[in-house]
Amino acid sequence: MKRVITILAVLLIASQGFAQLSGDEIMNKVYNLPTGNDQQGQLTMTLINKSGEQRVRKLQQYIKLYNGDEKKVMFFLAPADVRGTSFMNWSYADGRDDDQWIYLPALKRTKRISSDSKSESFMGSDFTYDDLGDRHPSEDTHKLLREETIDGKACYVVESTPKDDTYAYSKIISWIIKDNFMGAKREFYDEDGDLLKTLTVIKYDKIDGFWTILQTEMKNVQKNHKTEMKFENIQFNQGISDNKFTERGMTLGS
Amino acid sequence: MKHQKLYAALTIVITLVVTAFFLKEIRHNARMETDLDEYMPKTHPAFLYSDQAEEWFNIKDGILIALENKNGIYNPQTLQKIKDISKALQDMPQFEDNDVTSLYTADNITGSEYGLEVNSFYKRVPKSEEKLEELRVNVRGNDMAYGRVVSEDETVALVVAGMTDSLFTDTFYQEILSFANEYEGDGDKIYVAGRPIVEGTMGKLGPKDMKKMVPIVILVITLVLFLLLRSTRATITTLFTVFISTIWAFGLMAALGVPIFAVSTMIPVMLIAIGVAYGIYFYNHLKQYYRDKPETNSWNAVKHVLKVLWKPLMMAAFTTMIGFVSLITSQVFPIKYFGLFTAFGISIAFALTLIFIPATIVLFGYKARHGKINEDDKGYTKINHFTDRMLSNKKVIYITVAVLIVVSIFGTSKVWINSSFLSNFEKDSEIVLTDKFVNSKFGGTSTLNVVLESEESGVFKQPKTLELIDKMQAETVQLAKVGNSFSLADYLKRMNKVMNADDDAYYRIPESNEMVAQYLLLYEMSGDPENLAKVVNYDYNRTNITFQLKGDDSRTINEALTVIQKYEDQFSEQGIEMNYAGSGYKALVFTGLILDGQIKSIILSLLIVLALLSVMFRSFKAGLIGSLPIIITALISFGVMGLFNIPLSTTTALLSSIAIGIGIDYAIHFMQHYRTNIANMEHRHDAIHFTMKQTGKAILYNAIVVIAGFMVLLFSVFPPNRTLGALVSLNMFTSLAGTLTVMMILVYGAKLFMKKKLKK
Repeated sequence: MKRVITILAVLLIASQGFAQLSGDEIMNKVYNLPTGNDQQGQLTMTLINKSGEQRVRKLQQYIKLYNGDEKKVMFFLAPADVRGTSFMNWSYADGRDDDQWIYLPALKRTKRISSDSKSESFMGSDFTYDDLGDRHPSEDTHKLLREETIDGKACYVVESTPKDDTYAYSKIISWIIKDNFMGAKREFYDEDGDLLKTLTVIKYDKIDGFWTILQTEMKNVQKNHKTEMKFENIQFNQGISDNKFTERGMTLGS
Repeated sequence: MKHQKLYAALTIVITLVVTAFFLKEIRHNARMETDLDEYMPKTHPAFLYSDQAEEWFNIKDGILIALENKNGIYNPQTLQKIKDISKALQDMPQFEDNDVTSLYTADNITGSEYGLEVNSFYKRVPKSEEKLEELRVNVRGNDMAYGRVVSEDETVALVVAGMTDSLFTDTFYQEILSFANEYEGDGDKIYVAGRPIVEGTMGKLGPKDMKKMVPIVILVITLVLFLLLRSTRATITTLFTVFISTIWAFGLMAALGVPIFAVSTMIPVMLIAIGVAYGIYFYNHLKQYYRDKPETNSWNAVKHVLKVLWKPLMMAAFTTMIGFVSLITSQVFPIKYFGLFTAFGISIAFALTLIFIPATIVLFGYKARHGKINEDDKGYTKINHFTDRMLSNKKVIYITVAVLIVVSIFGTSKVWINSSFLSNFEKDSEIVLTDKFVNSKFGGTSTLNVVLESEESGVFKQPKTLELIDKMQAETVQLAKVGNSFSLADYLKRMNKVMNADDDAYYRIPESNEMVAQYLLLYEMSGDPENLAKVVNYDYNRTNITFQLKGDDSRTINEALTVIQKYEDQFSEQGIEMNYAGSGYKALVFTGLILDGQIKSIILSLLIVLALLSVMFRSFKAGLIGSLPIIITALISFGVMGLFNIPLSTTTALLSSIAIGIGIDYAIHFMQHYRTNIANMEHRHDAIHFTMKQTGKAILYNAIVVIAGFMVLLFSVFPPNRTLGALVSLNMFTSLAGTLTVMMILVYGAKLFMKKKLKK
């Protein structure tokens, strides 16, 4: 009898300990998922407007981390009339505005583009730069709402409210898979508290030992516009040359 | 007599009960339809296309709020107001953020040492002199803003808010006006213009004016009717039949769930003009009978009048109804309904004349007051003299009619259709002056959208196509009434310039397809991609070019279309199809449809009338002669409109229906009585005199009553109502004159209905 009680007590404490993971802890775990030092692959971005028309872009992308700063360069593969156009983004861990460049082969010139804010649309898509994943958890307060199973996977449901109340969203609700701390779904609410966008992760896998999103969809429910992103041929830690992430590198193509 | 009184009482009670039922229907189920889109035939290709294009490119009618500051708008206070107005509009549920265009919301595409920048002209209101000057320089250097959201003399700024028609309500109209006017003061003057405002004002002013005028019209008709009939009971009963038939017509509409459209307000106009005549005919014959047989009782008198009158009245009512029913050939639903329910109203007015009026006479009696006219009647009256003079001056009449017809045909050739809303207002009214002011400072308060489309995707990234668009825009803007234009080409020219150190030499379409594509990609990355969606689709095979016009009338739109259509072939060579969109264009097509339907319906009813008259009077010649007053009335009606520059619109086009309705009545009554008289009299000369005295007078009375009533509308403050009054009066007068002069002479001269006599 005593043994049974002990086992029950241990189980209880253990389960409680597990459940007591706070919203903050969950989001930090998500943020700190290992990503490798560099990453490369192909991205197909499909913009679909309310009439169902599509705009498809194929890009080769390279990402490399430099002590928390992230440098990313993307080369357009399609459509043909923009092939060779490249886009570079440096984002800084200290919260400075991103630096962005674009190289236009028709003009044979690299240009800076200004971006006032991280909440601007990424290449006309439904994603903002922030949505693509470099927002630090310390910028929001997080609250674990409940646990829920979606698509057969047990998830934490966390509500994140930005500390800066002028931020584009009034709150974000994330479904985080318990097993691996990958996001499964996210809802973005606008300044009036109405649902604005829904992000759904359609496909993910472990590649080179890293959990990686392979297909995702962002839908703006207010504008009835959506963007699909598909990643292929992803490779990690290939030792991408620093030269790729320079203005000259941008002109050389993928 | 007792039974007869009982039947009469029963008739009146039943009539009143049915009327009460229809009144209840009107109160509970009547519904006004003011959304003009509801008028359009939904399946017409031009409308289908325009609706589709409006959806593709977010094409909406703009409410224009202009802020004028005589000392220039570049001061913190005015700039703050532009910002406040823009933001407040964006917050209204009627507008999306990107429906609002102003200096505050506009994209300022610039080149800098960085490259391309797409920013706001200002976010925080600039306070210092340098900042204000910098803003001024920025706007001046940007063709996409200069002259579009800020006037070239820099004293007026414009805030445009695109509005979906169906969201525009009466309350919102009031709201937006008081909202805008709150910003007036401290040197800033506010003007509110744009199609939704014009439509809204029209929707309020017209009915409001009518509400004021209608009681006066009815009062005048009552007075004149009383003077002519010389009996209070007869006057009241006649008006009753008109009102009851109107109530039944609207009641039936309400019961069947048919909404009341703007043209439905013409139903009472028709019913007054036609229904009053029925009563006059009845009482005229009644009076005559009483005069001939003073000792008779009301039952016999009524029986006699019914015997004489039922046939011509039925023929007249039937042919008039056919005229209105023929309007169902129209493609425009409100006009179909107008025709059907007017016909229904006429059948009721007819039935009431044969049932309700006799019932009141049987029940309440009839007292004819024989005044001086009675004395005259016995001798040779003015009418007799008039008839003789007409008959002896045939040639003068024929020549006059011929001249009038020729002049009218010439006038008709000058008739133009106007789909303009603005032309409905006084030249010096606030709304017209505001529109004029905004037009003098900016591109124009009205828009025309040209939509180009191709099967081949990416065609609008081709420089040669874009250059053709640019050329078409440049040529069209040369027109005095076309203020400016906007398309994908404007974006590309602007970007090409700023990416080449603001060199004006590069203010042109980039030379390669790649360059165009890369600029557009660049814009998408830096600016708001939703702005591009207003000019081009995702596949770059559908594009929208907006022309701003300084007038919403058909002439202005057609002038622009003529230039634009010159390019249709060149686009077609590139496999590109041209179409049009926007409410101005739809109104143009719509008015064309109404006119087309109206002309078809007039021709159709003329043919039917000709056939019916020929059958009724068993003579094709009689048919032709009988149709003459209608033809003259319709021709003169259109001729006067052409000569006096009154454009055809929904209501004025419908007025020609009066020509048919009244013209037939007059012709049938006249000819039917002439036929009866000729059968009973020795000489056709006596017959024509008697007919003129009896029927001619009834026709004259009817015309006088309606003309007097509708002349009141000439004092209306709403110009379309004035036109209505003038044209109804004119049509009544021509029908009257045509019947009693030329038709009378022809009936007499052609020796109609003489065969039986000759055989004898």
